[in-house]
Amino acid sequence: MTEPQPVVELRGITKRFPGVVANSDVNLTVRAGEVHAVCGENGAGKSTLMKILYGMQQPDEGTISVNGEQVRLRNPQDAIKAGIGMVHQHFMLADNFTVRENVVLGAESLHGIGSAARARITALAEQTGLNASQDALMESLGVADRQRVEIIKVLYRGARIVILDEPTAVLVPQEVDALFATVRSMQEQGFTFIFISHKLDEVRAIADTVTVLRRGTTVGTADPKKISSRELAEMMVGSELPSPETRESTVTDRDMLRVNGLRLSAADSGRAILDDISFTVRAGEVLGIAGVEGNGQTELVETIMGMRKASAGRIELVETGGTVHDLTKLGTLARREVGIGYIPEDRTRYGLLLTQPLWANRILGYQTRKPVSRGQLLDIAGARRDTERIVSDYDVRTPGIEVPAAALSGGNQQKLVVGRELSGNPVLLIASHPTRGVDVGAQALIWEQIRIARREGLAVLLISADLDELIGLSDTIRVMLRGRLVSEADPATVTPQELGSAMTGAEAA
Amino acid sequence: MTSWRTKVLPPLLAIVFSLLICSIALLISGSDPLQAYWTMLRQLGQGTTAVDTVNLATVYYLSGLAVAIGFQMNLFNIGVEGQYRFAAVWAAIIGGALHLPPVLHVVVIIIVAVAAGVLYAAIPAVLKVTRGVSEVISTIMLNSIVGGIVAFLINPDQFGVLTGNNLRTQVIDPSGRIPGIPIGDASLFGFVFIAAAIGLAYWFMLNRTRFGFELRASGESTTAAAAGGVNSKRMTLIAMLLSGGVAGMVALPELLGRDYTYAITSTQGYGFTGIAVALLGRNHPGGIALGALLWAFLDKSAVSLEQVHVPKEIATIMQGAIVLSVVVAYEVVRRADLAAAQRRVGRALSGGRPASVAEGGAI
Amino acid sequence: MRRTRAAMLTATALAGVLALAGCAKDSGGGTSSNNASGNTGSCVTSQAPAAPAAATSSSSAGAKVDASSLRIGLAYDIGGRGDASFNDAAAAGVDKAKQDMGVKDVSESTASPTEDEAAKEQRLTQLATGGYNPIVAVGFAYAEAVGAVAPKYPNTKFAIVDDDSVTAPNVTPLVFAEEQGSFLAGVAAVYKSKSCHIGFIGGVNTPLIQKFEAGYLAGAKAASSKVQIEDQYLTPAGDNTGFQDPTKGNAKAAAEIAAGADVVYHAAGASGKGVFQAAQAGNALAIGVDSDQYNQQTVAQYKDVIMTSMLKRVDVAVYDYIQAVATNNLTTVPKRFDLKVDGVGYATSGGKIDDIVPVLQGYKQAIISGQITVPTTPAK
Repeated sequence: MTEPQPVVELRGITKRFPGVVANSDVNLTVRAGEVHAVCGENGAGKSTLMKILYGMQQPDEGTISVNGEQVRLRNPQDAIKAGIGMVHQHFMLADNFTVRENVVLGAESLHGIGSAARARITALAEQTGLNASQDALMESLGVADRQRVEIIKVLYRGARIVILDEPTAVLVPQEVDALFATVRSMQEQGFTFIFISHKLDEVRAIADTVTVLRRGTTVGTADPKKISSRELAEMMVGSELPSPETRESTVTDRDMLRVNGLRLSAADSGRAILDDISFTVRAGEVLGIAGVEGNGQTELVETIMGMRKASAGRIELVETGGTVHDLTKLGTLARREVGIGYIPEDRTRYGLLLTQPLWANRILGYQTRKPVSRGQLLDIAGARRDTERIVSDYDVRTPGIEVPAAALSGGNQQKLVVGRELSGNPVLLIASHPTRGVDVGAQALIWEQIRIARREGLAVLLISADLDELIGLSDTIRVMLRGRLVSEADPATVTPQELGSAMTGAEAA
Repeated sequence: MTSWRTKVLPPLLAIVFSLLICSIALLISGSDPLQAYWTMLRQLGQGTTAVDTVNLATVYYLSGLAVAIGFQMNLFNIGVEGQYRFAAVWAAIIGGALHLPPVLHVVVIIIVAVAAGVLYAAIPAVLKVTRGVSEVISTIMLNSIVGGIVAFLINPDQFGVLTGNNLRTQVIDPSGRIPGIPIGDASLFGFVFIAAAIGLAYWFMLNRTRFGFELRASGESTTAAAAGGVNSKRMTLIAMLLSGGVAGMVALPELLGRDYTYAITSTQGYGFTGIAVALLGRNHPGGIALGALLWAFLDKSAVSLEQVHVPKEIATIMQGAIVLSVVVAYEVVRRADLAAAQRRVGRALSGGRPASVAEGGAI
Repeated sequence: MRRTRAAMLTATALAGVLALAGCAKDSGGGTSSNNASGNTGSCVTSQAPAAPAAATSSSSAGAKVDASSLRIGLAYDIGGRGDASFNDAAAAGVDKAKQDMGVKDVSESTASPTEDEAAKEQRLTQLATGGYNPIVAVGFAYAEAVGAVAPKYPNTKFAIVDDDSVTAPNVTPLVFAEEQGSFLAGVAAVYKSKSCHIGFIGGVNTPLIQKFEAGYLAGAKAASSKVQIEDQYLTPAGDNTGFQDPTKGNAKAAAEIAAGADVVYHAAGASGKGVFQAAQAGNALAIGVDSDQYNQQTVAQYKDVIMTSMLKRVDVAVYDYIQAVATNNLTTVPKRFDLKVDGVGYATSGGKIDDIVPVLQGYKQAIISGQITVPTTPAK
């Protein structure tokens, strides 16, 4: 049984960005004619790896071989020449052009724009199962057909190796099935696919081989037919890390956050992103939300923070004295002012002003409150003092508080954010992936700080993809699937494996 | 980390670079670059040029500030041009029609100008906030409309007066003028001090107030600002109106200090110059002042250069070259500085090793 | 070419010039289908005043003047030398002075489009301190600056074109009776219009251009009580692009022609090219402005539709002024360059209006004698 030749071989790929390392010693071997899935949670380094393979970024270290030959891919054109094509998650199509114009655009030199091009596209349309006429305007096509056009674009340019970047994210289940049928038939014709995804059931459905990335490096390669979803989930989220200790419960019977019948509709289609979400977080309680990413967790957090406007439902915060604040109509700042701390899932985009010094970042979100502000005026001396305090209490490794936030490593940036969000005497902390992309030391420190605050009566809403973190920190776990809270688990008894299957909807209950 | 290098080096590089470009242009056109540069320097000692330069810079400074307020949150207020002309014509008309005691008269004119600027800026601001209309498009259109408004208002049938072949507004009474400071033959606009005060207020607003912080935060990252509770629509509205208010004062130094009337021949284009000046000054009140002075100096050079038979377009080439190279130079130095800061932090913390995934983490 | 002809025009008796011009021109006028064949148009309703028997006098003295010691400063408005408009006309006057009177040292300086008032003062001051005398400021935009600078240099002589609001003793205004020349253009338009429908295109809606408009309307109405007139400006006051926008000129002129006008007079500087274009395309006639545009290189391809031009002799005014300074007798400079001193007039190049010259001469005489007074603002 000879294995087919590897068509793509990535060896020891390392890519550093200012302050972070996105890929570290990543290895990937893709064999001819297979569907090779690359799996990992958001931020695990999949996108960076694919950008390197498609020539959009250059690795700092490591080699790329295509068909056994070592190549340098300086730009996408080099990649296309090497026979690699990429179908982006967000389509790059011109709505006011026809299918044919979209395909030929930029590749006019291959088959011209006349009958030769038409014939080639007809052939490719058959291969990919595109039913729409190639003279139809792009705007008249549905999502699945648009995706096929993207694939045709790639094939038209001569690609034999096709990268599909989260291709199912935009599709409904039937369309997913159709896509998989297309992929399989093309696979029979000798095409090779690299399939980026974090949806385990899909990976198991389509892939011949799966490589799992975690924290920027390869965890391992496996045959998805031979391992279970649970094992795959374990590879992705990890279970070897020291689990947070189980400890005495601090949960009180005082409600802190009450969410009732929350609904959020998509702006364009009216489809429900969040559907009838109801839960309560009590003082001293950590409520963990488990779920595969993209099932509405981000939107839930942003709706509670007032960054998105709920279509229906009610959000209430109960103060220690018993006063009930109806948050539903308030803006983000007002919600923060009644005592919500917020650790956003993407600190560089939502948590920090990267070019501003650390002390200015201390002010963000607290611009109306002591000790960094006095009404309309800022208290810069106070902000500096309090930043110094955070730097020392939270062990933020920095030469000083004047350096821009961008100069810190991810873990230290996150410690600063956590320190800030726990400084305003919050009654509720919303922590979205609080330890994603941070080092082990920072992770332990952040966990410890959350635990201390919880002991003092803080209510915590924790969203995490790290099941160990969820199980270790939470007092209660709710599982989120397709915008709904579908089940509940007791962290004292549940295992990551059980949680993993609940998240994929595989659980019978 | 905001070292002196980041602030001073780029403009210096830019000036040197543009001197080089202009030298080439001068040599091609058959002139002696050294003689041209000497003429430009020497003009400052001649007649009223030095004071004229400062006077003109005052106008550019106000215009630059108006643009910079918008720039702080990535609003591109091209409409300073229209806003200042709209404000100037109303200030001149009302100032010329009123007969009030000194000081009060001046204050009323300034208020009218600011209000008119705010009003004219309110149109793109409201369109942007309620309808999402790009302020670039709407202000360009409003700039074009203002020409018609000015022509209409200073028509003799409305508020204008025919003088020779020129049309102008009623001359403002002496009580409504701001006396200049005589320096030699020249007179320094009294408005220079008001402009300086506005510059200080701008600095204070930006660096010491909650509003300024929110403005800068929105400009740096709309997402982080939103998560930090900044209401972006409110900020857009206020920033645009503030920008319009300052724009309303752009023509006042000349109106209250020299012309006392607004005519169809009154200078246009100060609003566009403000964009260049704000770019030169990196939106910093001090930087804008230097940029305004430099720009005014080059403008004045154009006249002096013609006297020694050097094409006056050299001054324009130099202005263009400086703006372009300043933008490039700032970006280059900024990136170099950030990389240096990251290396410094890295060295300070890990003894020279680059951060690894285990301690720095993936994105 | 144009300048030589211009010089001849001023230096010679008008009747003689007309004869000359008639001989010198080709017969191109006759071939164009839209040319009047010499009959007075059906549009005319008024009897033209009688033509004078003899030519009028000229403002130029015959004697040779030496002005070689004069150092002349010239401050142009936006556009400067080469704008094919009034800056160029002023330049032509100086060039002729160089040629005829031996002027050697001329310093020229041009305003930039966005400069402030102080820059204009700086320009004049630098010319004055540089020892230039006289200094000619071209354009009424210099009025403020001349008013501010002239009193500081009482021994320097200043002249300003198109403005008479400056009262300093050492300032000589060089102003024109544009309405008188335009009156004759209006008369000519009526006589040449077949549809009894004519048009006017103003560049920028300023009082100065309104004088052209007023005279044209008055002339047309004097000749015909039933004429229809299209009347448009390209831009409002303050927007000087109206003088540099042939595309806009073309569009507006085409609209007027489409509305029925078959003779269009423009006072729109460089935008006039577009007006000529529209006239050619629309089988209509056009009237040029400022200089004899029939002979202008930049619009040579449209010469067959340029039936005449309203002449505004900025060159003559500048030349006369230099001559007067050289002879130290400023009283010879007319208070206003009008029909009487041939400061304004009409061109006959191309021979398209030869047949109505007696009519125009009659009206001209009537204006000079005061029999007809031409308004300077358009009748509402």
